[in-house]
Amino acid sequence: MKTPWVSRLSIIFIAIYIVLIPSFIWAQSEFSANLGIVEPRTIKQAPDFALQTLDGQTVKLSDFKGKPVLLNFWATWCEACKKEFPAMQRLYSHLKDDGFEIIAVSVDRRNRDRIEEFVKAYGIDFPILLDPQQKARRDYFIRGLPTSYLIDSAGDLRGFISGARAWDHIASRKALLNIFKNVRLSKVTNPAIK
Amino acid sequence: MKRVLSIFFLVLNLTVWFVQSPVEAYVGLCCAHCGGNMPMNIPGGGIPETHEFRVKVGQNYMRMGPFRSGTTDVSTTSLLGVPTQDGKFVVAPSEMRMWMTMASVAYSFTDRFALMAMTGYRYNEMDMEFNALANAATGSNGFTMKSDGMSDFKVMGKYRLFADDDLAPTNQLSAIVGLSFPTGEVDSRFRNNPIPGVNDTLQPFRMQQGSGTYDPILGLTFQTAKDPYWFGLNAIYTGRWMDNEQGYHQGQEAKVDAYAMYQFHPKALLEIQLNFHHEGQYSNEPDAQRFEGAGHVGFNPAAPFTSPLFNPDFYGGTKLNITGGFQYQPFDLQIVELLVSTPIVQNLHGPQLSEDWRIMFNYYVEIPTKKSRRYVGTKAPKELGF
Repeated sequence: MKTPWVSRLSIIFIAIYIVLIPSFIWAQSEFSANLGIVEPRTIKQAPDFALQTLDGQTVKLSDFKGKPVLLNFWATWCEACKKEFPAMQRLYSHLKDDGFEIIAVSVDRRNRDRIEEFVKAYGIDFPILLDPQQKARRDYFIRGLPTSYLIDSAGDLRGFISGARAWDHIASRKALLNIFKNVRLSKVTNPAIK
Repeated sequence: MKRVLSIFFLVLNLTVWFVQSPVEAYVGLCCAHCGGNMPMNIPGGGIPETHEFRVKVGQNYMRMGPFRSGTTDVSTTSLLGVPTQDGKFVVAPSEMRMWMTMASVAYSFTDRFALMAMTGYRYNEMDMEFNALANAATGSNGFTMKSDGMSDFKVMGKYRLFADDDLAPTNQLSAIVGLSFPTGEVDSRFRNNPIPGVNDTLQPFRMQQGSGTYDPILGLTFQTAKDPYWFGLNAIYTGRWMDNEQGYHQGQEAKVDAYAMYQFHPKALLEIQLNFHHEGQYSNEPDAQRFEGAGHVGFNPAAPFTSPLFNPDFYGGTKLNITGGFQYQPFDLQIVELLVSTPIVQNLHGPQLSEDWRIMFNYYVEIPTKKSRRYVGTKAPKELGF
């Protein structure tokens, strides 16, 4: 039986689709490895905030003065946010002894239990702060998730990153080192760490 | 049927293939400015993110039957008889099946304004039964009437009037204004009717593919979200303000869709909808019926109708459907949806074929352009020194 032309075309497109998928996945991973940090034109203090942790303690951003901080905004409904968490945790595990700090602010309006489940499932041990009223989110002009800020040990904003990143990639760690030039982050330059 | 499915798969493949290259630009950014989850079968319900395209293809199947007048079912055989008797006809349908392949493209120019364009390809089949006279004349119990072709092309603009948040709105209200263009045929003719002389005469209203008129579309949509639940209410009016080339217009049409969605998994959700639909009767018979006698006994315009399908009063009415299904995200930026719908109330101007059930499959893909937030990320705020 003669195959209709539309069916033949469909088969060709499916074949092309199958061949192209791996290259697109590869392209995407390379893209996210590049931190794409936007540096400030004017150095400004990071807006301070006081938010609760999952166990009810109030934590201020200013409590972390003296340490370089990666401030990350995320939500449980944001799949891209959740995808970058394991890499962020690996980065934190390797650098926390050097005084590097990660603070992840959840902008979920509710679903505290979902946040707890997520943190437990991924073994997150950096501080998770809750911003159900969206106050910190608005102070930091968050228009998409995840969004991260790099804050130096003096509490100044040093970088803005929009979107998920491969935080533990060597290129990412080098980019962090470049931003936190005045900070001793010896492990950042060690490509053996992954 | 095979042709419709082939066209559907071709459109689906073209869509998937065409959109793969922009997917590499996806920076892994969530932004829910559009309001998050919404059903794909409700026109104007969902819009893409700003500076992104959303291409959607869908395949619907609907079965219609039995006959109904008001809220009472009517058997086809009770309608067959000598057409000079009141309410009796030479031929009447027992069942209708409709396949519709739909394609739409939407683009958001700003956070507030999106433009959508949609069209479709329809294939209709209607099983017709003859009265004893036609049976004797043709030597058959009936035949299957068929028609197919492009449906009307619609363009709609959606403007957000209100949203309570600029990242992930929990309440938002939008207005829809659009126009339906008469690309669907209103001159579809019989091709396989066994009754002598009927082929090449005009088929009845429902076998035509469009309204034949430029129809204004006005609507309001309201969405509210309480993660993991999403709710919405869409109201759309399609005006039939002028006559088509056959000298009639379809009835005024109003649709109100209410939906609730429950996202039970990051990549999947369940949805339920109540779909209210009201449609008025056709304004008149087509010129081919009024002047050439198509659809009338002996091709005499003054004679009774050969089938209830030719009577413009036997169309329209009010119905309420319940629809349920799910959405699933197989890959980033792509969603599939499967829905099944059946009426729970039908009050029809009749006798006319009632709706039995329908099944709808939809697939959409979001395509970020180079201006999209998901291509370049969001802008660093100048208020903080960037």
